[in-house]
Amino acid sequence: MSTSDDIKGGHEDPNALVAEYVLGLLPTHEHERVGRLIENDPALRAERDFWTSRFAALNVEYAETPVPAHLYAAIEARAFGDRIGSKSKVSFWDSLALWRGLAAGALAVAVAAVGFNLVQPRFDADQMAVQLVAALQAQEGSGVEFLAVYDQAQGQVRITSLKGEAIPDRDFELWYINGDQPAVSMGVIPVHQRLEIPLDAATQANIGPGTVLAVTLEQTGGSPTGVAQGPIVAVGSAIPI
Amino acid sequence: MSSTTPAQDIADLIARCALRDRSAFRTLYERTSAKLFGVTLRILKDRSEAEEAIQEVYVKIWQRADRYVAGDTSPISWLVAVARNHSLDILRARRPVSEDIDVALEIPDSGPSPERATQDSQEKRQIEHCLERLEPDRAGAVRGAYLDGYSYEELATRYAVPLNTMRTWLRRSLIKLRECLTA
Repeated sequence: MSTSDDIKGGHEDPNALVAEYVLGLLPTHEHERVGRLIENDPALRAERDFWTSRFAALNVEYAETPVPAHLYAAIEARAFGDRIGSKSKVSFWDSLALWRGLAAGALAVAVAAVGFNLVQPRFDADQMAVQLVAALQAQEGSGVEFLAVYDQAQGQVRITSLKGEAIPDRDFELWYINGDQPAVSMGVIPVHQRLEIPLDAATQANIGPGTVLAVTLEQTGGSPTGVAQGPIVAVGSAIPI
Repeated sequence: MSSTTPAQDIADLIARCALRDRSAFRTLYERTSAKLFGVTLRILKDRSEAEEAIQEVYVKIWQRADRYVAGDTSPISWLVAVARNHSLDILRARRPVSEDIDVALEIPDSGPSPERATQDSQEKRQIEHCLERLEPDRAGAVRGAYLDGYSYEELATRYAVPLNTMRTWLRRSLIKLRECLTA
């Protein structure tokens, strides 16, 4: 790559470096590193605010574009929905507001899904086959995250844990939910281990873009009633890839 | 008619969001979402991605409203910065890990601190004036980095120059720009 000589053109100037940070030109690692340096140094913070406010004068060039009307309900559900769970741990599985929140919360997974897409082999020969991915993000500070991939051609869901630890005398149970319908169990899932869950035809027919996948913490062996009893620890919505 | 300025109104709405006033959040959204959607659209250049991003942006605004400090930045600039930074985070997460080793790892003394922020309209004229003093390509590259979130790689391609040349251009331009802005 480059030698230090041909980029001598000013890279030692701290103010230019802060400007590069504000513009977003630094690679991820450096962006985070410089961001921390700035946070801890009042002079650099002043420099950052200087560039931010000067460049903000260009904001008039961002053309105002109306947001599709249906999005606001999702935003509100997600912004306000977080608080419902923290208030009542016992009943929030049953809360309608939570379900609204889940559907909206699912929209947050796109970034993780894009990242996953890069490592997932694509089957160009069979473009009609439906593949869905869901990043199940931690809820209520559970620290538990899963990634699920549904491949219609193979009729199975593959799920792997990204974060979190097993809990003694408890099991994680996976559910799918469509709209206002009750959650349907897909079985108990392990931590630190990939699992392939074959789906019957009826279940396959029920899973599509927008289906919400949720993981709850249940007694060992899963909920005995077929209805989730424990708290949701991770949730995400299936999106096509 | 309100007796306050639009900026004061927006600042007030943000403050009420920090106090968990949901109706203020709705009003803030109604007043500002078209602008912020313009930001996510222009940077992400994909409508469905921009629609997802705008939702995340407003959730962030709701969650971080208490971090807005009136007086430091104009309220709409703060909101635009939230939308812009969120969009850039999405782009950055998508880019391959760079092997860059040429960023200055230690930041020396940054010298005299910049002047206190002046009025928005004055700043607009000033940055336009200072950009005009750069060569057109270089001014265009600075604008592209800010408004479109272009990376060095994208800018080098757009202006058909080697990557390191683009870095040098940009850094020199930023130094010149600062000199002009603080003159």
